[in-house]
Amino acid sequence: EAASLARSGGAGGLAQWVLVELQGEVEPRQSGGLAGSLLGDLHYTHEGVPVLIVGHHILYGKVVRLEKPFAVLVKRGASEPGPAGPHACYAVTALIKTKLLFKTRPKPIITNVPKKV
Amino acid sequence: GAMRSRGEVDATLQTAKVNPAELLPVVHCLSFGPQAGAGECCLLQLEPGLCAELEAGRSLVIRGEKDEQAVLCSKDKTYDMKIADTSNMLLFIPGCKTPEQLNADQASCNIIHSQIAGFGNNYWELRRCRPKLKKLRKLLMEDPYEGPDSRKDQTLTFSKYTTEDLLNLIQASEEEILHQLQVIDACKIEGYWRILDFDYEMKLLNHVTQLIDSESWSLSKVPLRTCLEELGSLEPIEMIEHILLSYGRKYIDDAGEVYFEMHEDKICRAIAHMLLQNAVKFNLLEFQEVWQQSVPEGMTTRLDQLKGLALVDKSSRPETIFLLKVEDLPEDNQERFNSLFGIREKWTEVDITPYIQDLCAEKQTVGALLTKYARSSMQNGVKVYNSRRPIS
Repeated sequence: EAASLARSGGAGGLAQWVLVELQGEVEPRQSGGLAGSLLGDLHYTHEGVPVLIVGHHILYGKVVRLEKPFAVLVKRGASEPGPAGPHACYAVTALIKTKLLFKTRPKPIITNVPKKV
Repeated sequence: GAMRSRGEVDATLQTAKVNPAELLPVVHCLSFGPQAGAGECCLLQLEPGLCAELEAGRSLVIRGEKDEQAVLCSKDKTYDMKIADTSNMLLFIPGCKTPEQLNADQASCNIIHSQIAGFGNNYWELRRCRPKLKKLRKLLMEDPYEGPDSRKDQTLTFSKYTTEDLLNLIQASEEEILHQLQVIDACKIEGYWRILDFDYEMKLLNHVTQLIDSESWSLSKVPLRTCLEELGSLEPIEMIEHILLSYGRKYIDDAGEVYFEMHEDKICRAIAHMLLQNAVKFNLLEFQEVWQQSVPEGMTTRLDQLKGLALVDKSSRPETIFLLKVEDLPEDNQERFNSLFGIREKWTEVDITPYIQDLCAEKQTVGALLTKYARSSMQNGVKVYNSRRPIS
């Protein structure tokens, strides 16, 4: 069987997304899972350095132009059960040409707890 | 939950002791979208050229039956697919802007709520590979065309394939498939791709070579029109034209007449094939004599016309020759070498090259293949190659 990776949507070009690469795992804070929960705030310095504040950590990264861009594939008919892996039907939904790479160890944010008087 | 406000963002910056003056005014508040954890999205790393193809609106296709390793095909190339793991976490985010884009964009908002569409720690990696075309011949050989008189074609048979069928079944790009169909001299009959039954093919070729002989035509100037007139009562004209195209080069002269320049090597090779298929092996000298006598007047037979078709055994007394077709051998590199070393323990480079040439990847040499899959030694002053593994 052949699974065609046609462009999804018709109008205009493919959407451009961005990849964020972090060390370690992403775990949900609440038991309800990740959907809807906040990851953090992404800032950039004037020099273009990305700064990510996640929970009690600050991460400094860099903007990397990917030598080999990625295509984002989305499974078609996702709600139906079907073959897993490459034999399922996929559509190309976006291209990723840029990644924000956060390789530095996160710096913990130390909060000052006000003393009770 | 409620979306973060600018006030909350600023408060976080203050707690983190980051000076807002050092930052661009726009912040992206990243949260996980509703489908982020569902695993419906995955990443495919693109080889050079594929990105441009996608942006130009062309499709890529993943091909493979459940028992085959999936490949990705563009319009003219084939790639193996493999999962690559990374120790890092990859998050893919729509609508997330780079500093460049933010600086160029004079938007007034200073907060962008971006939803992470998906995440993972692996992606599909591509590696250009040889198209897997052995199956093409196998499918077409299920039902070779034996001519219009054959009773076989009148019965309903499902072993016939259209271009569309082949695209669905063969792990190769469309261009690679169409090119291979040309290489193996397949033809379209009633919309289906067919390969000629060898005996029928030889029958057609024989009609043509006999006509060339009786008309005393030059081998490089065989007129299409006369062939169709003289042979049209014996065989379908499409088949006559097909055999001329298979064994000759078509050209048009100044008067607009169509001629064929016959391929001497290919004709001699076909006749050798016909002779050799009748026995396990032949006395080399006897074979060469019969072969020369069997080819059309004016053609000269040479053993190098039989590369990849037959093999000479120089160690037997007398020397012998036997049929060994490269297309009958396995497609996988290691299996091919195992098969060849099973047939003969030691090979010279000259002898083995026609049987491994087709394994070379883009820019790979026969020498590189031999280094990888064989071990060399000297025998009677000649370099020979044998298996890296002990012969079972």
